[in-house]
Amino acid sequence: FLHYSLSIALPPLSYLVAQVRPLHGSGCGQQQEAVGMEMRPETFSIFRTQENDPDCQSEQHQGQYYTVPPSHFHTVFPHGLPPRYQQQVKTFNEGCVMVRQPALELISHLKRADYSKPTLRYLLYGVKGSGKTMSLCHTVHYCSTQGWLVLHIPDAHLWVKNCKELLPSSYHASRFDQPIQASNWLRNFRTTNENFLSKIKLRQRYVWTKRESTEEGQPLGELVDMGVSRVKSSSDVVGAVLKELRLQAGGTEGGFRLAVAVDGVNGLWGRTTLKKEDKSPVAPEELTLVHNLRKMINNDWCGGAVIATLSQTGSLYAPSSAYLPQELLGEEGFDSMDPFIPVPVSLYSEKEFESCYLYYLDRHWLQHPHSQTEEGKKELIFLSNRNPSVLERLCAFL
Amino acid sequence: MAASLTGLLKPWTPRVLLVRWSRYNPYYLEPGPRKEVYHIPETELTPEQKEERELKSVRPIKAATNSVTSSVFNDPVLSKFVNMMMKDGDKIIAKGIITQTLENMKRKQVEKYHKAPEGKKAEIECNPYAIFHQALENCKPVIGLTSIQKGGKFYQVPIPLTDNRRRFLAMKWMITECRDNKHRRTLMYEKLSQELLAAFSKEGNVVKRKHELHKMAESNRAYAHYRWW
Repeated sequence: FLHYSLSIALPPLSYLVAQVRPLHGSGCGQQQEAVGMEMRPETFSIFRTQENDPDCQSEQHQGQYYTVPPSHFHTVFPHGLPPRYQQQVKTFNEGCVMVRQPALELISHLKRADYSKPTLRYLLYGVKGSGKTMSLCHTVHYCSTQGWLVLHIPDAHLWVKNCKELLPSSYHASRFDQPIQASNWLRNFRTTNENFLSKIKLRQRYVWTKRESTEEGQPLGELVDMGVSRVKSSSDVVGAVLKELRLQAGGTEGGFRLAVAVDGVNGLWGRTTLKKEDKSPVAPEELTLVHNLRKMINNDWCGGAVIATLSQTGSLYAPSSAYLPQELLGEEGFDSMDPFIPVPVSLYSEKEFESCYLYYLDRHWLQHPHSQTEEGKKELIFLSNRNPSVLERLCAFL
Repeated sequence: MAASLTGLLKPWTPRVLLVRWSRYNPYYLEPGPRKEVYHIPETELTPEQKEERELKSVRPIKAATNSVTSSVFNDPVLSKFVNMMMKDGDKIIAKGIITQTLENMKRKQVEKYHKAPEGKKAEIECNPYAIFHQALENCKPVIGLTSIQKGGKFYQVPIPLTDNRRRFLAMKWMITECRDNKHRRTLMYEKLSQELLAAFSKEGNVVKRKHELHKMAESNRAYAHYRWW
């Protein structure tokens, strides 16, 4: 039940004016929702848009919320959304994402890139709470709707800290395996890319133990299932999957496009908090998962894109005021990522703030009587400085 | 005593005088942090307000405490609750628990609201502040008991309670209930939100405790004349 007429009488009636928006005729007309939903009333709300397909969104939709269809939600985002946003989706009974300038820029680059050349790497950076992960998720939704294969690593920092089981790798003597993290990721990967698992065939034979091996020509789904069930060799399975996808991404016969979306990419270079049995620290390159992911981020393959986000929130040994690529990636990381296309993510503009405020009002989230007045709104702007996450936390208890 | 001495006190009399809890010379006026009062133009003031303004321009004013703000979201009852929940002066943790409680209550109610059919939506109260105030009202006892000695024995005598005492008892019961009767792994804000929502619909342990107090007072009606004030 998504009703769009604002039930609270707000002083600026201009929000309810029927906006004459030219219907863009490039084949992305008004999307009609599934038959079960009720028809929307005629009042146009300034903060919502009917354009739920990221392909057809453009600058005129900036600042407006579009709804991710519930059917897509669990397949595209089994992992990867910020935890507070997941709570919000559960509370409001719908998943709405704001169309913002960084995501639109990324999507336009993806549309116009040449996929026969080596992969382009995009890096989203900005202050804490400015919306980098949400922009990444918007782009991932676009890639998903366009039929790309999406490799979404929800947070690279999870792989370099708090690991209960660190097994020495069977494949390479000096490396370490992380069975739990790898099998979790494989499970989510399977949910995201069901349709690709049967189409992609392996080009190499993989031997796991004396008795187990996966033959050439078998579908990728078997490899992933093996990794999920045999937890001990799941990190090597991840490595194998990444290698296969890298080789086959740019292929001319049955070629698909590969999107590698990594959140918190600065965790791959730097330090870990993991220790070996003799209490000496583990360097990130000694972890199988990190080693394989770094190979993926290199631009020596073609037929896809690498979209990464910097994150200070989960990072280790980084000061809290650091947000620029140079500071967070360090020398080694910057040299590996260089050359990349930086995409800055800024705080909400006035229009975006208005939109967010109206959305919360519409969803009955701002309950305090004073928060619905002009005074309260000015106070919210002052307290949050238009920072999206700070605003969300403020509105949570108001 | 302070009222009679006010006429004799002057600004130069020492600021610090031990009068009950207040160490201020009663000559000093209370601070008024609300902005709306100062926005009323000259013409619309009532005579009392005009007098107050003139007094404020002459008399010294006490320093405002840290917990008082000119924010529109400031709530004195909630501040009192936060202070009662505070341990070892750690207001950050206490305020954090209360904000998490309010958020939790609102989330539960808003989720229910969005899933409810059209007819039932108006009955669901989503405002956590309204729920908090109503729950506290539902927990306030009307009559209290006190121990009075008569003829060598102590009797539990029903007495009327002041508003402050009633509010204090309601808050105290709520906090002790949430601290004692919860599972080891339940967090405070979770238990508090459950209790407040229960008290809002007049169920739960705190409201039960209030009813038990009322029943005790009713059963001890006979001793009511032992009270001499």
